[in-house]
Amino acid sequence: MAKQTFTSGQVLTAAQVNALQSNDFNQTVTTKTASYTPTTTTDIGTRVIMNSASATTITINTSIYSAGDTFFIGNIGAGVCTLTAGTCTITTAGSLAIPQNGGGTLYFTSASAAIFYSSAGPTASSGLTFITGGSLSGTATSIDNCFSATYLNYKIVLNDLIVSVGSRVAFRMRVSGSDNTTSNYTFGVFGIDTAGSTVVAILAAANGTSFRLTTGTDIGSGMSTSFDLQNPFASKPTSFGVANLMQGETATACVANGVFKATTSFDGITFFPFTSPETLTGTYKIYGYANS
Amino acid sequence: MSNPQIKIIDALTGESITRDMTSSELAQLQADKLEADKEAEALAKDQADKEATRAAVLTRLGLTSDELLALLS
Repeated sequence: MAKQTFTSGQVLTAAQVNALQSNDFNQTVTTKTASYTPTTTTDIGTRVIMNSASATTITINTSIYSAGDTFFIGNIGAGVCTLTAGTCTITTAGSLAIPQNGGGTLYFTSASAAIFYSSAGPTASSGLTFITGGSLSGTATSIDNCFSATYLNYKIVLNDLIVSVGSRVAFRMRVSGSDNTTSNYTFGVFGIDTAGSTVVAILAAANGTSFRLTTGTDIGSGMSTSFDLQNPFASKPTSFGVANLMQGETATACVANGVFKATTSFDGITFFPFTSPETLTGTYKIYGYANS
Repeated sequence: MSNPQIKIIDALTGESITRDMTSSELAQLQADKLEADKEAEALAKDQADKEATRAAVLTRLGLTSDELLALLS
């Protein structure tokens, strides 16, 4: 029930006490199916539940509530409800946009200012963001439009890679739907036999036409690896680095590094086995590192 | 024999197509194969040269591989 005002000499009935107690333990719910602008203090100490398939707003104005007033806002509809500062200031560490099944408490610090304690929490400002993923197959797999101005650096995770014996996992940078095959790929790959503690293969190119991730010694079973790619979209040299790559059958540890020397901006990448027409299968996932 | 194919995925739309390689892609594929063969030959030669050098040194020293490993361990 809404907040009551009792006057001197008034008889307090059992029903009124029960109603107040009920609101403490089982708050009154008012469901709204359209945008809402409170004009009275009716909602204080209760729950306002939005239920609309389309987007709605709750607009808060000044001089309706007082310092210390609170009420809960929830959204059970598919449409996002946005808490809107009308003439009243609203601050939050999270978002004022309340998604379906989200909510939070609106707490007034004065008649003209409120804080929304959102259930969604603060918006993440750092970390990895998944961009795309899928499977590799056939003679070559190209992924277009996976690099953009949104991120400077990327993490690429490859799982269950299988190439035929003697082949190597390779990749090329790509832009506007075409591989870049210029002689700007500089790389070095070491293959270390973990049983014999010896370097079994060294691949290197100062002016190659693609990068290599493995040395190509008897890869027949699935293997997984990940590597970082720096500046693929930026007009700067694109570099990558891989470590701790175990090639399936011979337990060879690989370390690979490389740089595309020109300042080309790339928006895609192609993975392929470097002994065509062998095939390369597996899965890929591409993530962007937040810039700040 | 079927033509080599390339799978292309658009990360923006999720659209995926698999098609035969174009003539320029096929030409690059052939160039890659030649380069890969050269790389494999170079790797094999490098391995053989190292093994021959190692064997020659062991012979001069009058040691077996196991004896050398025992010395180095």
